[in-house]
Amino acid sequence: MFLNNFILAASDPVVDWDLFQSSLWPMIQGGIQGTIPLTLISFTFGLLIALLTALARLSNSKILAGLARVYVSAIRGTPLLVQLFIIFYGLPNIGVVIDPFPSACIAFSLNVGAYASEIIRASILSVPKGQWEAGYAIGMTHRQALLRIILPQATRVSIPPLSNTFISLVKDTSLASLILVTELFRKSQEIAARTYEFLQLYITAALLYWIVCFILSLIQGRIEKRLDRYVAK
Amino acid sequence: MLVSVKGLHKSFGDLDVLKGIDLSIEKGSVVAIIGPSGSGKTTMLRCLNALEMPNKGTIQFQDEFNINFDAAPSKRDILTLRRKSGMVFQSYNLFPHKTALENVMEGPVIVQRKAKEKTKALAESLLKKVGLAEKMDLYPHQLSGGQQQRVGIARALAIEPELMLFDEPTSALDPEIVGEVLRVIRDLAKEGWTMAIVTHELKFAEEVADHVIFIDGGHIVEQGTPEEILKNPKEARTKQFLDRILNPS
Repeated sequence: MFLNNFILAASDPVVDWDLFQSSLWPMIQGGIQGTIPLTLISFTFGLLIALLTALARLSNSKILAGLARVYVSAIRGTPLLVQLFIIFYGLPNIGVVIDPFPSACIAFSLNVGAYASEIIRASILSVPKGQWEAGYAIGMTHRQALLRIILPQATRVSIPPLSNTFISLVKDTSLASLILVTELFRKSQEIAARTYEFLQLYITAALLYWIVCFILSLIQGRIEKRLDRYVAK
Repeated sequence: MLVSVKGLHKSFGDLDVLKGIDLSIEKGSVVAIIGPSGSGKTTMLRCLNALEMPNKGTIQFQDEFNINFDAAPSKRDILTLRRKSGMVFQSYNLFPHKTALENVMEGPVIVQRKAKEKTKALAESLLKKVGLAEKMDLYPHQLSGGQQQRVGIARALAIEPELMLFDEPTSALDPEIVGEVLRVIRDLAKEGWTMAIVTHELKFAEEVADHVIFIDGGHIVEQGTPEEILKNPKEARTKQFLDRILNPS
């Protein structure tokens, strides 16, 4: 009986091109309406949180540094999926109801904030101490030296690891399908549930993610090259 | 006196590096600071613009500004002190993401909030003065050590400091290009800049300095004219130091 089914399934055409064509656009739409805005919004807010967290950890205030440390530890020490569920399914229990899309944005921003803060902190520390001193010596305040001298140099160092964070984020946004956000992977799930062509649809989804990430890694290379112009080869 | 330093103390943890430095720098004079490594000479220079924070003592600029380190000084006083002096570092510390011209313009434009166009003219004339008219648009990594150090000097001059501080400005350079940097410093001396120079170049000190300070063990052991200190030192430690430098091996 099982064997029979197996043979039956195997004798189906490997790729259903009609389905491929009809499913591709809805999936791309899911990407444009869900995956891309979710990624861009979360990364932007995430970087902002990350910069503030990194500065808090590097500051002289023990309270700020401690708070930042706890935040990073909590986010890095818990699964992203659990964080998503707490925000979307958990918070309504205490009367905080947030729509799927903003819930996902909050979870992903907090996540990026924690991981990227470590990257930013390390890249700030990688700038030689003499650079701070050269800034101070021409009369700069701490803030001027940070903004004009240190951060531009730290940025160059942080681009490769931050690009990795960004690319991971693109893929991680597929988790938002589990809190009802309409994005690329949820679209493929919906069509698969209707047609039972799980393999083909999920592989199509995987290919779309791959294409996006491939393009992003090309862009990463170009940015790195641009920022490298003042560094000895 | 342009600068009067009194009772300057600095320690790093348990290690006392400066044990009470008293020092005056006359306006328009060149002070050479010499001494063995670890004597505290670089720390002393860095205390003069609070890159190292002294633990005790005062620094007075003419009659107009006085900063006391017995208690932590205010941020404003530290900024005021720093804006009175320009510093040239042993390892140049140019901003690698800015061209030579941008390095020189950074202080006047960002710190002193001067107009960009005016500053550009000033920066160009300073780079010309140090012999880098052709290199203004290059990044530091495209310049030789001697060229980078000359940009460093122009950057320090650009904020029009009352006092120029040089921290072993030629120690990181190849011997054959030491001269091009010393030449620039010599020209500045002729123009009447007030300068404090930590250096190992005794011949240069003898020629350019008006006043030589010998530091050892966190104290000023001896000070006077180059003739007095370098030719006829009174203290045994000074003699020993000079002897080791002049007759190595």
